[in-house]
Amino acid sequence: MRFGALVKRDVLVSWRKKSNIYQPLVFQLLIVTMFPLGLGAGAQTLAKIAPAVVWILALLSTLITLENIFKDDYEDGSLDVYVLSGMSLPLAAFSKATAHWLTTGIPVMLFAPVIGVLMHLPEQSYGVLLLSLLLATPIFSLLGTVGSALIVNIKNGGMLLSVLIMPLLSPVLIFGAGAVLETTLGNSALGHLLLLLGCAVLALTLAPLAAAAAIKVNLE
Amino acid sequence: MDAGQLAVIAGPNGSGKTTLLQALSGLSLLASGSRIYQGSSELSLWLKESHYLGHKLGNKGNLSCFENLQFVAQVNETSVTSSAISAVLEKAGLAGYEYQHANDLSAGQKKRLALSRLLLLNKIYWLLDEPFVNLDYAGCDWLYEIIEKHISQGGSVILTAHDQKKIHELAHHHITLEFPEEVHES
Repeated sequence: MRFGALVKRDVLVSWRKKSNIYQPLVFQLLIVTMFPLGLGAGAQTLAKIAPAVVWILALLSTLITLENIFKDDYEDGSLDVYVLSGMSLPLAAFSKATAHWLTTGIPVMLFAPVIGVLMHLPEQSYGVLLLSLLLATPIFSLLGTVGSALIVNIKNGGMLLSVLIMPLLSPVLIFGAGAVLETTLGNSALGHLLLLLGCAVLALTLAPLAAAAAIKVNLE
Repeated sequence: MDAGQLAVIAGPNGSGKTTLLQALSGLSLLASGSRIYQGSSELSLWLKESHYLGHKLGNKGNLSCFENLQFVAQVNETSVTSSAISAVLEKAGLAGYEYQHANDLSAGQKKRLALSRLLLLNKIYWLLDEPFVNLDYAGCDWLYEIIEKHISQGGSVILTAHDQKKIHELAHHHITLEFPEEVHES
C-alpha cells in the first residue's frame, strides 16, 4: 500500500510536470542529429557506430534525470513526510526507483528504436536493443536512487552524481552495447544479455539498501 | 512529558530549536543522549505515534490539496474516506481548495494545508517547528484552538514559538535554549 501510494504520487507529479518525461527524449534527438553532421558520412559509417551511440544516448539522457529522484522531495520537505511515516527506507527507495523507471526508463527504452533508425541500425538488431534496454533501464533507476540519495543535500550535485555512478554503470554499457553489436555482426547476444540480467539482479537486491543508508546519513 | 501536556521551546535564532525538534522527531541521528518513548528507544513505535512538521512544509506543489492529504494518509497507512479528507480541509479553512494545486496557494494557505495533516493523522505527539509563522490572525486562533483541543483530549504537543503570548500561557513546560556562556578556543 505504501509502495503503491509513493509510486502513484511520483508518477502523477512527473505526468503533470511533462518536462520530466520528454527532456531525455529531446536530449537524445538533439545529439543524434549531430552525428551525420559531424561525421559527414553515409549510412555505413553510421551503422557501424550505431549500437554504441544508441546505448550511450540512452545512458546519458537517463543520467541527467537522476539527480532529482530524491532532491525535489528533500527540498519541499515531502521526504521527511514519508521517512517519518515509519515506511521502511529500502522500500521507499525501491518505490522511487520504480516510479523513475515508469516515467523515464520506459520512455527512453521505447524511444531507442527511433534513434536506431536515425543511426541506420541494421534491422535484425532492434529486438535485442529493446531487450537489452528492458534489462538496463531498471539498473539506471536503481543506481540512480543511490546516487541521488548521496547528493541530496548538496547544491549542484549533478556532476558529483555522474562521477559517482558512471563507474558503476560502465559494465552495463559494455554488456548492453556489446549485445547490440553482436547482433549487427550476426552473432548471438545471449551471453551479453545474461550478464546484463545478472547486473539487474544485483542492482535490485543491493541498491535499495544502499540508497536507504545514504538517506539516513544525509537527513539532518 | 505526560499525556495532555504542551511544551514550548524558545530561544534566540541559531540556539538549536529546530535541531532539537528534528532530533526528537527521529529525522536526525543523535550524537549523544537518547529518545525514550514508553520505556523504549525503539524508533518505529515513536514514529507511529508522532508527527513532525518542520520549516519545509512537505506539500507537493503540483498535487492538489486533496491529493496531498490522500498521499499522507496512504503512506502513514491511515485509512480515511474522501469525505474525511474534505472535512479536514474545511476545518483548516481550505474548503473549496480541494482541487487547487498546492503551488497556487498563498504562503499561509500552504501552512494550513501542512497543519491539516495533524488533524488527518490524529497522532498523539505533535512536534511543530514555528507553527504560527505565516498564519493570519484567524489562522493563529485556529491553530491555538486545535492545540488546546488536542491536549485536552490527552495528546501532547512540543512546539517552538517566539512571541505567541497565548501559547506560552497554555504551556506546561517552558524550555529556553541559550548559547553556551563562553566558547573556548584552543
